[in-house]
Amino acid sequence: MSSEPAVAPVALRLHSVSKRYHLQQGPMEVKTALLHPLRFLGRQHARAPFWAVRDVTLDVGHGEFFSIIGANGSGKSTLLRLMAGLSRPTTGAIEAAGRISTLLELGSGFHPQASGRDNAILNGLLIGMTRGQVEALLPGIVAFAGLQEFIDQPMRTYSSGMYVRLGFAIAAHMDPEILLVDEVLAVGDLRFQEKCYDHIASLQARGVTIVMVSHDLAAVERFSTRAALMERGRIVAIGDPHQIVAQHIERLAETSPEIQRAIEEAIEEHPEEFARALEQAPEETRAAFQQAYAERQRLETGTDPEDVE
Amino acid sequence: MQLLHALTIRDLKLRYQGSIFGWAWSMLRPLALGAILSFALGKVLGTGIGAVFLLCGLFPWFWFQGSVQVSTTTFVGNGGLLKKVRFPREVLPVSVVLGQTLQFALALPVLAAFVIGAGDNPAWSWLPGIPLLFAVQLALILGLSLLFASVTVFFRDLEHLVEVGLTLVFYGTPIIYDIDRIPDGYAWMIWLNPLAPLMEGWRDVLLRGELPGANLAASAGISAVFVTLGWFTFRRLEDSFADVV
Repeated sequence: MSSEPAVAPVALRLHSVSKRYHLQQGPMEVKTALLHPLRFLGRQHARAPFWAVRDVTLDVGHGEFFSIIGANGSGKSTLLRLMAGLSRPTTGAIEAAGRISTLLELGSGFHPQASGRDNAILNGLLIGMTRGQVEALLPGIVAFAGLQEFIDQPMRTYSSGMYVRLGFAIAAHMDPEILLVDEVLAVGDLRFQEKCYDHIASLQARGVTIVMVSHDLAAVERFSTRAALMERGRIVAIGDPHQIVAQHIERLAETSPEIQRAIEEAIEEHPEEFARALEQAPEETRAAFQQAYAERQRLETGTDPEDVE
Repeated sequence: MQLLHALTIRDLKLRYQGSIFGWAWSMLRPLALGAILSFALGKVLGTGIGAVFLLCGLFPWFWFQGSVQVSTTTFVGNGGLLKKVRFPREVLPVSVVLGQTLQFALALPVLAAFVIGAGDNPAWSWLPGIPLLFAVQLALILGLSLLFASVTVFFRDLEHLVEVGLTLVFYGTPIIYDIDRIPDGYAWMIWLNPLAPLMEGWRDVLLRGELPGANLAASAGISAVFVTLGWFTFRRLEDSFADVV
């Protein structure tokens, strides 16, 4: 819980990592390349570079719970994808001491026509388990997900809650050394979220290194040992999670007249209640504003910019 | 390997819904086409091309065509997975190819039965010939599948070109006709086609009971080129899949 660099042995080391994407108008096509070779080559040169991650240097120590926060499009998810080795940094280097597991999406590759059992086995193999491991863990996974009667049914008959539960149950039975978590836990009902966080906490207790990207500021403050704030691809602040979250909220308020207005209105309307809320549960209050802000942004833009393909 | 195995089995299970007649369905297409073509070409046009002759070309062709066509879109079609999970990328197209290969392997006895039923006894050349041609064609298919699947990530419309290309190759290759029927002036076209010696090879072995010396050597060389090209293209491009897809 300090803003000093990690003292424990380093689990994950990023050395001035940057990632450049090219923004292009529409996909490349053989057609264009053949019919308009000059235009095609011209466009290759004219593609606008976009630095999603800029010059990030970072050490994450063994057993740390490191959170990365920031507004939509600040580069958090890209950074996590780089750490996971799903994408290569344009410049810089990433070293990991330990087996990396990712929890970027629950139930990746589930096929609706296949049974829950077949999907669970395939999903386990996909995320790096061996067949023997998956089969040994399967009864536990099924029980954890509460799907005993349904496991041999095709997954198209599952509710979305059952889908997510199975996905998480598989992920929960991984035995990671370094776990990278993206927004995945923000799904499901409250009780399920609580179960997810309990599980993450138990991993933390076992000494697993965890890096999480999240908009759930309350969770960031509750679990993290250290946090970083990203803005336009750079890490602008790093240290104690409470300070980082506070800074994030402040900057959001600065940059967003909306959230500023929302806070002012709230104080005007219910001065006492608001003061009490801030005093009793500063994290939750700030998080509520943050969430309201994120929700509004999502409604306005239609989507999270990082998810645009 | 286990992942590849599981993925292949899942695809096969899904396609046939676990039906034991599933593999029979996979043979319906070449059999039906063989029947109608033997009528159209053999009887109506009076070329004397028979059903067994056609089947010797159609079975290997559908193995080739099904594999290349389906695997071309495996990376593009699994973009979400490529972005979120780290696993050996090659399993996606390779599992498609293996599924199709298994179907072909199961169809081979049926093809042999047709050849024998037509009055040709199984020749000794089948023993080395069939496994050799099988291996050479598998290598060619793997190479092309990896190549097209990888490049399609960057050039989305390649999918359509492959589809059209396969149709052209089907009629441009001695599959439903004999290579000897090609007019002299056009023979060179056939030898530009990497599939031609392979298809001739299958008939050398199955119908003529010969070992396809020159045809086998030529197709082995072609396969070696494509499997190398496919693998290195895939290796070169796979790191960018998650960024582009």
